[in-house]
Amino acid sequence: MSLYILSKEKLPEFVKALQAKFRVVGPVRTETGYEFDDITDPEQLQLDYSTTILPPKKYFLPQHEVLFQFHSGPNGKGNKHLELRPIYQDVQPTVIFGVHTCDMNGIMLYDKVFAEGFRDEHYMERRAQIYIIGIECLHPCDEASFCKDMGTLTAPPIYDLHMTEMDGHYLVDTGTEKGERLLQENLYVQMAQKEDIQRLGQLLSAKWPRFRMRLKVSKDQTPSLLALGYKAKIWEQLGDRCLACGSCTNVCPTCFCFDVEDRMDINMQDGERARVWDSCQLREFALVAGGHNFRGKKSERVRHRVMRKGKYIKQVHGLLGCTGCGRCERACLVNITIPATINGLHDEMQLESGS
Amino acid sequence: MPAKPKIAFFDFTSCEGCQLTIVDLLQTHLGLLDLVEVVQWREAKTEKGEDYAIAFIEGSCSRASDEARLKQIRERAQVVVALGACAHLGGVNTMKNRWVMENVQTYVYGKDGQNAYETYPARPLSAVIKVDAVIPGCPIDRHEFLRIVQQMLQGRTPKLPDYPLCVECKLSENSCLNKHGKPCLGPITRAGCDAICPTYGDGCEGCRGWATEANFVHMREILRGHGLSDYEIDMKLTMFNHYQMHELGAKAPLTTSTTENVPLPTSKFSAPQED
Repeated sequence: MSLYILSKEKLPEFVKALQAKFRVVGPVRTETGYEFDDITDPEQLQLDYSTTILPPKKYFLPQHEVLFQFHSGPNGKGNKHLELRPIYQDVQPTVIFGVHTCDMNGIMLYDKVFAEGFRDEHYMERRAQIYIIGIECLHPCDEASFCKDMGTLTAPPIYDLHMTEMDGHYLVDTGTEKGERLLQENLYVQMAQKEDIQRLGQLLSAKWPRFRMRLKVSKDQTPSLLALGYKAKIWEQLGDRCLACGSCTNVCPTCFCFDVEDRMDINMQDGERARVWDSCQLREFALVAGGHNFRGKKSERVRHRVMRKGKYIKQVHGLLGCTGCGRCERACLVNITIPATINGLHDEMQLESGS
Repeated sequence: MPAKPKIAFFDFTSCEGCQLTIVDLLQTHLGLLDLVEVVQWREAKTEKGEDYAIAFIEGSCSRASDEARLKQIRERAQVVVALGACAHLGGVNTMKNRWVMENVQTYVYGKDGQNAYETYPARPLSAVIKVDAVIPGCPIDRHEFLRIVQQMLQGRTPKLPDYPLCVECKLSENSCLNKHGKPCLGPITRAGCDAICPTYGDGCEGCRGWATEANFVHMREILRGHGLSDYEIDMKLTMFNHYQMHELGAKAPLTTSTTENVPLPTSKFSAPQED
């Protein structure tokens, strides 16, 4: 849409103006790194952060989300009676600052997952009130990043505003009408000039060589590679190492699986039903009544996760389930990584085909 | 609702901290007393009723003579719940099992120690009687206790997480201690405590027992990466879980002997002097 110039000194003013009307969140410093958290003082905002343990998905699908409250007991006539009251948790006007392009790709997939097929009311209600302010990645987060391989190094069209740091100020691109209003109503900004736009083009082309490629195959080949490698030996090796701790999926910007649990009040008549993040890497995930487990072995679960990321999700929603953000690699204590898995599978398949 | 189930609390070798946790829970959840009738609870009431449906037992069994009392409770109760790490696992009481009992007695109580106090290798309740449900932890998590009581009142099988603590650390967005040079048994320990120790910066010591799929081989590797010796790793794995490690035997072998002929530690606190 339109491109504006926002000087760095004016950013706190913008944040302050937003705080009057929105919950403002963004990357802040922690003892060991960064995390997305509420911004109470504009100075906390660290737009040049590297990465976070959890992606901003926690604002779209909270770790623990109450779906409804219930009351059970006799009605006026003494019959058994159940009342339900839907809850829409964390639905409030929210601005998320500093979303990296990989995470925007994750949110783009979330938007499809929760809107296509069964439309998830709770997600949609919350989503409608969220503003995404992206930040252009000019450097890789660290060695674990492989966003370039996954094609997530550019901002997908889901941002309301997208900022690029350039020569001591930000160039702000408005991606939506509501983003345009968010900027105009809260700050006086000037349109970018022709020279700014040229300079931005140079800046964006110059960033690409800074990102390395880590996959031996292109992302478009992963679905067929995975189909071929379903029975590969690598899955057993990875399964032996896996701690079945679920860290990889919990930190993943595209993992969305949840479990549903009821909590009773102490009076044993009222209670609430909540959904909590679940993980396909945990033993009980595919355990069903009667004791059968569809993925009882860790090797089957590791494989399932990679299949989801590189094949199944694409078949259903048209997008790959991996953004190359590197979070699973950073979280894993036994060094199971997507690039090493894909490359290992590639090598094993090459060896098998004798080429 | 039918008549309130009668419950009783008992303690064996323990610090009674788990029962204290429940006393404390009552300060905020007094409604619990509308759900159950407590007929015996030495720590909290004087009367002693012997007619109870659910027995909550804290503590490990560390004396042969305790077995009879345990069996009596088992006979009277319809449901026996192991309360806390000592009852569930044997817990820290089993640390003494690393040494020959006679030496432990002499070390702690002096020359006549063997005659002064009866003891035998500490063990979880399940080694002596059938246990129907477990509330793990040192001490127990009060919310988990409440939830399990509620599940039993609903006629449901009490359910514990079977996955490791890492899940809870990630959901709380804790920075991984193992990634930052602090040994943590979280990757092999059963979740359910909301990862309280790692959340406050202390590595998990495994007080809730092992996760169903605990990967000991790679946990050891992670701990070796922190510079821990095989002996130190064995000590860590047997702090709360000595009994379990010996039950697992070859499935999760310890690398050093922790039972036979290992000299007692030279503690900075000397053994009590005899008069």
